[in-house]
Amino acid sequence: MNLTKINYEADEKWADVVPILQQEGENSLAQIAYTDEYSQATSYLRAVMASNEKSERAMELTEHIINMNPAHYTVWLYRADIIKTLSLNPVKELDKLEAISLNHPKNFQVWGYRQSIMSIIPTLPPKELSFLAKVLAKDAKNYHVWAYRQWLVEYFSLWPTSEGKGSELFFIDSLLTNDVRNNSAWNHRYFVLFGRNVESVMPLDIFTQEINYAMAKIDTAPQNASAWNYLKGILRKQKKGAKEVEHFALQYVSLEDESKIRSSHALDLLAEIWAGEASDKACQALDLLSNKYDPVRANYWQYRKSLIKAAQAA
Amino acid sequence: MSISGSHLAVQRHVEYIQSLDTQQDDLEYWLTEHLRLNGLYWGLTALHILGHPEALSREETIDFVFSCQRENGGFGAAPGHDAHVLYTVSAVQILVEIDALEELDRRTNEGRGKVARYLANLQDKQTGTFAGDEWGEVDTRFLYAAINALSLLDCLSMIDQQKAVEYLQACTNFDGGYGASPGAESHSAQIFTCVAALAILGKLDLVDTERLGCWLSERQLPNGGLNGRPEKLEDVCYSWWVLSPLAVIGKLDWIDREKQLAYILSCQDTEKGGLADRPNDMVDVFHTHFAIAGLSLLSYPGLEPIDPV
Repeated sequence: MNLTKINYEADEKWADVVPILQQEGENSLAQIAYTDEYSQATSYLRAVMASNEKSERAMELTEHIINMNPAHYTVWLYRADIIKTLSLNPVKELDKLEAISLNHPKNFQVWGYRQSIMSIIPTLPPKELSFLAKVLAKDAKNYHVWAYRQWLVEYFSLWPTSEGKGSELFFIDSLLTNDVRNNSAWNHRYFVLFGRNVESVMPLDIFTQEINYAMAKIDTAPQNASAWNYLKGILRKQKKGAKEVEHFALQYVSLEDESKIRSSHALDLLAEIWAGEASDKACQALDLLSNKYDPVRANYWQYRKSLIKAAQAA
Repeated sequence: MSISGSHLAVQRHVEYIQSLDTQQDDLEYWLTEHLRLNGLYWGLTALHILGHPEALSREETIDFVFSCQRENGGFGAAPGHDAHVLYTVSAVQILVEIDALEELDRRTNEGRGKVARYLANLQDKQTGTFAGDEWGEVDTRFLYAAINALSLLDCLSMIDQQKAVEYLQACTNFDGGYGASPGAESHSAQIFTCVAALAILGKLDLVDTERLGCWLSERQLPNGGLNGRPEKLEDVCYSWWVLSPLAVIGKLDWIDREKQLAYILSCQDTEKGGLADRPNDMVDVFHTHFAIAGLSLLSYPGLEPIDPV
């Protein structure tokens, strides 16, 4: 944040520009109170935009306004326009963005702007992935950053061909090792493996590999919804049912000895596996969920049970 | 600040919303300039649900809305701001709410047709989704906003609805939820936008209601609050984002109603009015609106019912 006050009216460099003041109705409702500095800067921005001026001083003006109010989306768009018109170095602009991105990581404009600058760069800048790692180290679940990273994967075709260092899978694994409950990282894993628009040739054992991966992660934290959801998602994609993980899920559940129940998600998956041929056990699991292990969703579990009962009666 | 968990302090909340446009000396006030028209919609809707639609002046509201309209037919966040779909939907919703849609035809040359054209032009003809403005950022929030506004203007036929539906379908995730774009993580607020858009387009049959309902109900935490994604903190705004799609797919009873009601009420400031994201936090109009809208979905006594879409 630039703390020095900038006064355009007193600056010779701006003497030829007539600022355009904000037109405000007389209505009191939702009227806007500005600071003088912000109000003056935006008056000069309106003037510059009206004459479509793309210049060095216009660049400085946009930076000044962005520092005061990074949520002002028009100013970002105008800045991108200037860069493209004047063919300014986009990689340098990315460097400049680093501080504001780290200070305002949840700002929509920062990431949309980054994407628009990145799309005039032909190859992935070497510092980009380490920059994103830095942002994600501050908040590993930032939705804008992940959306941007998906765009980056598609744009520069960063689809993983191995789990080696530098690959998306390697990076995701490092995040999940740090926090196995990071749902964003799980989602990104699914995206980089199955999210390609073009139907690509998947290695035959991709399902086995991912089922094993999810099971290993579940074992480190059996009550983690994200890993179980991923496992269920992979099983669904494989279209072979969930029977193959029954034995695995039973490690965390015992219907005979409740003291051995360590995961409501395992109960849930087992109830699904048992719903067909072992419906009594399925109902027992669902009762355990609604009475003891997830009572907040009792109605949902009882609904599942009613489906089983209805199938039995039919 | 005083917190109470048993009753909704209706009068206090009405006064809080009325006081919002008199706090112009606050730094916070001009920093949120980019949300002004949304803020008016949130405040006004909360007042309607609370049964006090008259608490803001109808004439001043209409004047303010029109002062935000741009040459291209769209609306900006505040006078002088560029048009964006998120403010345009707020403008249309406000006008519908106070039964002033005909003002569009009375005050402007081409009336609602021009607003509708602005919105329809934001659709990407290839993918079916919508950009937020002429600059092109896409997000299912924009798609929902455009479709909602076009539906209120009775102009849905101006867009390629089939393409929009296909795009929404592509946003379905492996866990049964929806994200901001194909492949983006499931998020309660994005689920609201996708499900509400499908509802408006008459395509709810495409929703896997059991898996979606399961994912949404899993958002409730033991303290009764709801979160937006797994392993995230609860926030009262999800009382709208989670409950609304649950209501649309008829699974509202899959969450614990009593616990959720108690949670929402615990977020209110019963002394100065307004509701916050969590108990004891600062109130704001955004959370006040979504909390009250959530209470309405749960049929809290004395509130006007709200359409979940």
